[in-house]
Amino acid sequence: MERREVSFRIYRYNPQVDRTPFYDNFRIAVEKGITILRALNHIKEHLEPRLTFRAFCQAGICGSCAVRINGVSRLACTTQVWDLLTGSGDETILIEPLDNLEVIRDLVVDINPIMEKLKRNYSWIRPAIPEEEMGRKEHIVSDEEFETINASSDCILCGSCYSECSMMAVNRDYISPPVLLKTFRMNNDTRDTFACERLREVTTDDGLWDCTHCYKCTEHCTKKIPIMDGIHRLREEAFERGMTQTKGARHAQAFFDDIRDIGRLREVTLPLRTKGVLGSIGMVPLAVRMGLKGRKPPLLVKRIPDIERVRDIYSRLEANRGES
Amino acid sequence: MQYAYFLSCINESMTKEVDRALNLWKKDLGMELVNLEKGTCCGGSNLDYVSPNHFIIINGRNLALAEQMGLDLATSCSTCLLTLRRAKHILDTSSEKREMVNAHLADEGLYYGGTSDVKHLLWVINEDYGLERLAVKVTAPLRGVRFAPFYGCHILRPSALLGRDDSAAPSSLDRLVEALGGSLVEYGSKNKCCGFHTLLVAEKQSLTMTGNAIEDAVRSGADYIVTPCPLCHTALDAYQDKALAGRRASRNIPVLHLSQMIGLALGYSREALGIDRHMIAV
Repeated sequence: MERREVSFRIYRYNPQVDRTPFYDNFRIAVEKGITILRALNHIKEHLEPRLTFRAFCQAGICGSCAVRINGVSRLACTTQVWDLLTGSGDETILIEPLDNLEVIRDLVVDINPIMEKLKRNYSWIRPAIPEEEMGRKEHIVSDEEFETINASSDCILCGSCYSECSMMAVNRDYISPPVLLKTFRMNNDTRDTFACERLREVTTDDGLWDCTHCYKCTEHCTKKIPIMDGIHRLREEAFERGMTQTKGARHAQAFFDDIRDIGRLREVTLPLRTKGVLGSIGMVPLAVRMGLKGRKPPLLVKRIPDIERVRDIYSRLEANRGES
Repeated sequence: MQYAYFLSCINESMTKEVDRALNLWKKDLGMELVNLEKGTCCGGSNLDYVSPNHFIIINGRNLALAEQMGLDLATSCSTCLLTLRRAKHILDTSSEKREMVNAHLADEGLYYGGTSDVKHLLWVINEDYGLERLAVKVTAPLRGVRFAPFYGCHILRPSALLGRDDSAAPSSLDRLVEALGGSLVEYGSKNKCCGFHTLLVAEKQSLTMTGNAIEDAVRSGADYIVTPCPLCHTALDAYQDKALAGRRASRNIPVLHLSQMIGLALGYSREALGIDRHMIAV
């Protein structure tokens, strides 16, 4: 069996005792095939019984052992130590708690903010079957219907996307990727009857349109769920339901209109169309300074050649929509 | 080395210097770019919310225009890159979508077959041209200049659609800096979000993201930030003063476009490369 000496540099913090967080180093011999969780258990059993972390299933199902490993949020139980070794002489693996959540102790974070947001946003099915008939009547979901929500129902609420999210890092009130994913999942469940209200709840400030589209949630999902696709789909649904009186929706509409009219984006009026007159006033000083540097979008953007062809596409799609 | 070149809306307006710099030195590398004049705005990850069908047909058309020329499509904007590659992925994996798109393109004599690849300028330089060949062309090595490479999101993530770099530890831009003789600083924000895409929707939060990245680069001791994305450039340069307001950042930091950094190493002047157009003076 291959064995190697590996250092684990682990975040330590007990808010009741420690003034600031610090790091402890543990050097242990690790065999090939050992997970980060097994290494943490070894350290707790043999070197530092006070080391605190959460874990349960050891099979990537319960979602409780998510931590940041070398800066990236992952499940300790499905991450192989061997995969992280660089082959250089001094192997050190950095283990820290998830980001964007308060630390309770060492690697344990308080996940209540996620739970609170899930509750506030009706992250469960509200079925058509009346309460008294529950359990007596079946509501069958076909394989095809389930396919739409198949990937999203794999979410184990491990919090990795919450920890990686760019918007969460600057706004703790932001609705967050797992809650948007749940919204998508419930809104596309054929047994549910609450989609409109649920969507309305997320199209407010700190909501659906505040996602900065950085794809960190998708990239680091421990269950490989394309979370951004769910967020995309919710934005489409906002348009389908006519919930378009938001800055984000008006911004998107501007792209749609400009491509039809001239083929290119009219950036000069984009802030005005997104934020309205009042909202854009604050941008005037910067716009003036940019103008002085020649960094101003042209007032009149030239139409692309053959714009008629693009308009034909729009007309045909409009006609199709009318028919259906 | 011939490519169809996708004209990004922002590079046609606010960040004209990107293409200006590129057009100066492309001939030095024997690179020929045929502007995709009939191409439209890619929809900037917004068009599909309004109508997924418009998104896929409009971008299928952009891709088919490149295909008609028999060329791969190159772009200098990371969001155009991702948007076009997303459309390409959808079309290449769904014959139903391909048929729908082709029905709309027939009138114009266009056809989407999936033969043209979509590449960022950074990939073209690194992979198609090659950094060893580029290093030989350098006439004004960027010796002693410390760069903080800022990758931004849409050239890295989702790696399933992009996949050139390890998105958690990217290195392609780092290698380019080194090939041009420059040195690198280590800082944590290189693969973080600049905040651009929500600047008009959630300005305060977005500017916090922008400010965090700038402050991180300043602390690392970099002389410049360099970025392959004009949207990141706009957040980091044009919004820099606003993003740093009320912070303790010790200084401003100038931000170069990828095409300008290459231009400097190939001996072109700052004026010619449009560096004087930046909001943060170099």
